[in-house]
Amino acid sequence: MNPISLYLRLVRIAIKARMQYRADFVTGILGVIVMNVVNISLIGILVSRFADLNGWTIWEVVFLYSLWILGHSLFSLFMWHIRTLEDYLVQGTFDQFLLRPASAFVLFIGREVQYLGIADFAIGASGMALAYSNLRLTWGPVEWGFLVLAILAGTLIEMTLTLMISSIAFWTGRSRRANGLVMQVNVMVQYYPVDIFGAFFRVLVTSVIPVAFMNYYPALMLLGKVEHIGAWWPLAYASPVVALVMVGLAAGVWQLALRQYSSAGG
Amino acid sequence: MKLFWSFTRQAFHNTAVYRVEFWIRLVSILLAMYSIRAVWQTLYTQRPDAFGLTLGQMVTYGVLGMALHAFIDTGSEWYIATQVRTGAIDTDLLKPIDFHVHMLARNLGEMLFGMGVMALPTYAIGYFVFGLQLPPDAGAAGLFALSVLLGFLVQFHLGFLLGSVAFATLDIRSIAWAYFAVISFFSGQMVPLWMFPDGLRAVAEVLPLQAVYYIPMSIYIGTYSGPEAWSALGFQALWALTLAGVARLAWHQVHRRLTVQGG
Repeated sequence: MNPISLYLRLVRIAIKARMQYRADFVTGILGVIVMNVVNISLIGILVSRFADLNGWTIWEVVFLYSLWILGHSLFSLFMWHIRTLEDYLVQGTFDQFLLRPASAFVLFIGREVQYLGIADFAIGASGMALAYSNLRLTWGPVEWGFLVLAILAGTLIEMTLTLMISSIAFWTGRSRRANGLVMQVNVMVQYYPVDIFGAFFRVLVTSVIPVAFMNYYPALMLLGKVEHIGAWWPLAYASPVVALVMVGLAAGVWQLALRQYSSAGG
Repeated sequence: MKLFWSFTRQAFHNTAVYRVEFWIRLVSILLAMYSIRAVWQTLYTQRPDAFGLTLGQMVTYGVLGMALHAFIDTGSEWYIATQVRTGAIDTDLLKPIDFHVHMLARNLGEMLFGMGVMALPTYAIGYFVFGLQLPPDAGAAGLFALSVLLGFLVQFHLGFLLGSVAFATLDIRSIAWAYFAVISFFSGQMVPLWMFPDGLRAVAEVLPLQAVYYIPMSIYIGTYSGPEAWSALGFQALWALTLAGVARLAWHQVHRRLTVQGG
């Protein structure tokens, strides 16, 4: 069986397993929606009181938030459990992926789905639609195409980052707090335009933890604000390339991790 | 009382065990402080007159919100929910101490740990790096300390009630997300209440949530002083007592009907 159809079959099974808990589904979706509406309103109060945030109007900030969460939604639907890798390692349940005649990565990644990503997607899509009409944007096929690429790149960037950080657990047994820290940096980028921060932080989220490519840089292109970053304009188009580089790096780290893995038993 | 402090001490030590976690939490608090300062500084530079406060006061308010967050919310709801889900709650019930008092002792220990080991050092770093301010005078500092303690009691009892929901639903994660978001909004942790539009502000002023962040922080930066500060403390004390009463009542109901599986 080829990896893709194996993956799809695993996802079907995971969805069935999830559907056993319907009550969870409803409260979970509501919880995520309330959380995001509250978050956006907080930033909304601030930005509307001051007209704009370093040149970003309220709807442009909503656009940033939505673009981020659209990329994140696919991650949270299909890959959220990468963050729980340490549990598989500590409890010894990771071995199940190594004992079967298929790629350990495909087996691991197809192990679970997290339905809350649906709520993320709904919020991102509605936020994006609202921002699009309020900003009176008129995109051609190039922009729409780039939007799709940027969302997919966002998913890949978050996934590869999480995979690499979680792989630390292959060596240390723990990675959750480190993931939490990266997530915190990521959330800062989700909420606020990167240019309000100092040079150190901007370099950090552009290179070491390149989460600015999930929303900030592609948004510059999509909102026609490329001149914001002057000579650094190529960065506004770079998200897909950054995502591919990250995939290469993550694949390397994963291979390295598997090679030195020894089971905790169990 | 001796028993109470022994649980408090134990919680303190439990939290102190994980060194790497300590450093990561430290960095994480500093990051949060850094981000809120960047936001206020940007807004202030744009319109210095829109605050009614100095930039120093505003940045202090924001950074203090992050410092308080590092210890005032001890996450009692997670402890209770986990014990319920795994059935380990029976070990808590076997302890020779009232459950509510036990939880209070435990969370007080975690709160003191968070304050002494996490929040104070990071705040001290922030004080020098971000140019923060101290309370206007020693009296205000004393009232602030009292207000933080009352805020902790309000936060703890809200968490206790949320955790008790686990007896009915087993999983509180999704409810907790909504709850955290609502707290960070209406408590004034991120944005002071006087910046809210009128309608939302009226709601926020009735809810107990402002007792957790807004009131202590307003006393610290000096926007509440004298009789105003005292009446705010009264508001906090009233809510702390009310919520403690409700929490005990709720626990009494739960305890009577509780059946523990496995264990």
